[in-house]
Amino acid sequence: MNAIIISAIWGVVMMFSGVFSKSNAVVRIMALTGIALLLFVNVLEWNGVQLFHVNVRNMLSFDSFGLFFNTIAFGSTALYFLLSGRDMEKVGLHVAEYYALIFFILCGISIASSFNTLLMLFLGIEIISIPLYIITGTDKRNLKSNEASLKYFLMGAFSTGLMLMGITLIYGAKGSFNMDDISLGTYAMTPMLGAGLLLLLFSMAFKVSAAPFHFWTPDVYDGAPTVFTSFMATIVKAGAFIAFLRLFEGSFEGMHPQWQTLVAIITAATLFIGNITAVFQQSVKRMLAYSSIAQAGFMMLALVAMNGMAKEGLVYYTLAYSLATIGVFAILIKMKDYTFEGFNGLAKHQPVLAATNTIFLLSLAGIPATAGFMAKFYMLSAAVSNGHVMWLVILGVLCAAISVYYYFRVIQAMYFKDGDTQQMDTTPGFKGLLVLMAAFVVLIGIFPQWIIDKLYNIF
Amino acid sequence: MSVTVFLFYFLSVLAIGSALMVVISRNPIHSILWLIGTFFAISGHYILMNAQFLGIVNIIVYAGAIMVLFLFVVMLMNLNTETEPKKNKWLKLAGVVSGGCLLLVLVAALKTAEKHGQLVQLKEGDIGLVGNLGKVLFTDYVVPFEISSILFLSAMVGTVVIGKKGD
Repeated sequence: MNAIIISAIWGVVMMFSGVFSKSNAVVRIMALTGIALLLFVNVLEWNGVQLFHVNVRNMLSFDSFGLFFNTIAFGSTALYFLLSGRDMEKVGLHVAEYYALIFFILCGISIASSFNTLLMLFLGIEIISIPLYIITGTDKRNLKSNEASLKYFLMGAFSTGLMLMGITLIYGAKGSFNMDDISLGTYAMTPMLGAGLLLLLFSMAFKVSAAPFHFWTPDVYDGAPTVFTSFMATIVKAGAFIAFLRLFEGSFEGMHPQWQTLVAIITAATLFIGNITAVFQQSVKRMLAYSSIAQAGFMMLALVAMNGMAKEGLVYYTLAYSLATIGVFAILIKMKDYTFEGFNGLAKHQPVLAATNTIFLLSLAGIPATAGFMAKFYMLSAAVSNGHVMWLVILGVLCAAISVYYYFRVIQAMYFKDGDTQQMDTTPGFKGLLVLMAAFVVLIGIFPQWIIDKLYNIF
Repeated sequence: MSVTVFLFYFLSVLAIGSALMVVISRNPIHSILWLIGTFFAISGHYILMNAQFLGIVNIIVYAGAIMVLFLFVVMLMNLNTETEPKKNKWLKLAGVVSGGCLLLVLVAALKTAEKHGQLVQLKEGDIGLVGNLGKVLFTDYVVPFEISSILFLSAMVGTVVIGKKGD
């Protein structure tokens, strides 16, 4: 509850900071204070300190899994603010409002990681989605941004309609919104419950951009201002995944054998389409959009497996994926040219950026000794221990091999091709933070369990 | 056949008939007018089920405000059959097949619904009355009620960000 209330209040505070101060630096410092405060109150709640005593009537439940995920999401947002906060100021004039919208999204994410009724799920997903439609279209002079925003809004509204229809059918079958009531006696699946489950599955698959509901992703990620693409592709996607897992674990775990094959097929399609299409992209930004679809395929494995390892693995995956993608995007934002050729010869002019970018890309590709390898390992071994989906595991490994091709194309361009000098305004702090992040990616790749235990114990 | 049963069937035929006309009409303006008819029929159903508040809100918000906005947008955009984009034949076929699949699933789902044969709960159930609804909203459902304010606030901020002149 701490995180939900504080993030909502801080959203309002950010709006007022834009009124009282014309300086972007003040706004940025306010946002950093807010995210630090949010991280702090979330950790407080983990230790059992409730700042607000609200009778939530069993509509929200704050377990350590959700709180741990919140910590990761807020921590990633803090890194994102530090790395790309200055670039947000180049998008438009309403910097304070952009930060306010991001704080509202964080509020939605903390609802999505703690809901206990479908009503709160709907509110959480909507609080995440509506600010996203807006920040997609903030680059108002750019037609592509406008198109992306409208497309995202229309398709998102449609998928929200599907979700509502699904919730209605489930309410009709079970007579309750509460996940505890819904999960009772779901071993016998009635057609009404099945139809509700299908519609919920489709709408959630849309939110996490799983195939065949992924068509909006490349256009929206490509059209949105790159700073916000970075946020959408990482923290928001992770939040939607936590909601997805929470929903299916809480309400439909009893029916797991019935829907496992369907989710496995969606996962296979996501992995296959995401990886194959990413190979043919010419723009790195678009390639990263397809790569985010491919990574979503790996995260979907947690749903297919649905066991303790999958749950822990998903949190680890979101951490590894968010860190690496925020890093790659932070460097991409500084580039003038978003094509693969734009990265030519980066290693000569900006050795630090090229080296850290390489580590992030290796992590995304899942090369050993990076976080991405262990993340993929967790996901695949969760699927193996489930035992029913060996074909999917094999496909996952093959797709990971394909992904190496397009991630290495960037590395090859940076190190083995000559290019012109690009003007990039980077500060020593920016480079230092990137180096720290890269070091962390390697560290959690080498000692994954140790780090996870430490994180659980510190807080 | 009692009056309520007759009313139920009358409203149902009206709702389904107008909903079909929304889809069939070539002229968008006619579609919207039929849609208003659908909303009125559904409001009638709500009142039949003793949910007056829901019925009135449905008329005020949907049939009133939203449909007027809708009508204005369509009129301003001046849509008619000539400006209608040509659609691919295969795309149409795919649409029909997928829509038919959804229809099949929904019919299968509702065919075996537990309340089979029982039309509506008439004259009983006072949960839909304004007083009871307010009581439930401010006791059991106060947390979602308050949280939805964040949703509206963020939508409001967004409108200002998108609509403001100057950049």
